[in-house]
Amino acid sequence: MRAPVVVIAASAAVLGPACAFAVEYMSVEQAQRSLFPQADRFEPQAITLSPAQQQDLQGRLGSTWHAPHWKVFAALKDGQQQGWVVVDEVVGKFELIGYAVAVGSDGAVRQVEILSYRESHGHEVRLAPWRKQFVGKKAGDAIQVGRDIANISGATLSCNHVTEGVRRIVQTLDVVRATHAGA
Amino acid sequence: MPAPDGAWLRRARPALGTLVEIGIGWRAGDASAAQHARAAVLEAGFAAIAHVQASLSRFAADSAIARYNAAAEGEVVPLEPDSRELLLLANELHAASAGCFDVSLGSGGWRLEDAGLRKLHAASHLDLGGLAKGWAVDRAVAALQEAGAFAGWVNAGGDLRGWGVELPLALRDEATGGVRHLGSLGEGAFATSCFAARNSPGRQVLAGGVRAAHVSVAAPCCAWADALTKVVGITGDPHHPLLQRYDARAWIHQQ
Repeated sequence: MRAPVVVIAASAAVLGPACAFAVEYMSVEQAQRSLFPQADRFEPQAITLSPAQQQDLQGRLGSTWHAPHWKVFAALKDGQQQGWVVVDEVVGKFELIGYAVAVGSDGAVRQVEILSYRESHGHEVRLAPWRKQFVGKKAGDAIQVGRDIANISGATLSCNHVTEGVRRIVQTLDVVRATHAGA
Repeated sequence: MPAPDGAWLRRARPALGTLVEIGIGWRAGDASAAQHARAAVLEAGFAAIAHVQASLSRFAADSAIARYNAAAEGEVVPLEPDSRELLLLANELHAASAGCFDVSLGSGGWRLEDAGLRKLHAASHLDLGGLAKGWAVDRAVAALQEAGAFAGWVNAGGDLRGWGVELPLALRDEATGGVRHLGSLGEGAFATSCFAARNSPGRQVLAGGVRAAHVSVAAPCCAWADALTKVVGITGDPHHPLLQRYDARAWIHQQ
């Protein structure tokens, strides 16, 4: 195989200043259509839990239950619910990750899609003003270093925050489903 | 190189313990660029990633590696052809690096036989973490090319490979966050590992007491780039002779 052509900045030993990096992968609407292609409607749903349900969930998650900042949509086809799309956002050390998870009516995860990835230096990711600059951005309005196809290399970024977020969503919907099933 | 002038499609999903991003491109007017066709190509790429995870992750209960680690002395674990190929590469790298690259993390005691992977002693265990992400990237690239993507890339948590396009590269700052422009990658793979000073827990250790550094390697395929970051990091030698053998180059960036 041929060696790759790699052009590294002359000052690779001492790199330039750190800047932010962001990719908008999908809008919520694009994610809904991708996750449930057969659905004809997505209806926003509020999740409210009774004290008994909250306690059940606390036992399952092993931590105190707080009302989540999720956006929950029922995926409907001909009025029948096929499942849910839940949109959530998790914060890591330097990154803010928006994602959507599709859960079937049987409670199983069908797919997880990352909606947006934003990374910054310092603690900007937790500051409201930094996050606000992305409000209203559509998929394709990327704010990126260099061109639209910039890639990051680095030590592995863990997806723990996302998988933990998915776990909480699945357990919460399980509690909701159990109630509706008359259990 | 000629760039696709149709739109890029870029998607990411959690996999391999990290975020895996796939980007694919088409020429404008290409009939295969219809949305459902592009979605099918993407799925082929993500399916290849999922297949490597299921067959080789030590965390996937039914994977060959998980079964090997749980096996008793003398047992032979059957292998799929892809898994066998990866373990052959691991063997080759171990020999070529004089034991520096070691998927048994010093426990030894494994042997590839016609029937599968034999466990020679009970304490032997395998961890393909130093190789599996790069390998998964290579399998995904092959699947995407076979499915018809004219150009694109696969990036598994910073181990990446591109084809048909020159990719601008940025390096993550592990200490303070943000990214720094590094250069660009044409037709090949790039991997980065972070090595910390000896007294930093939980991180790979750079030889010679060097303080925290990134080691990046560019190589024709991602499995080689991934593995060679470990060899360069452990030896502290950015001109290690193994690099030439695998058509690779290395950089050490101090923090």
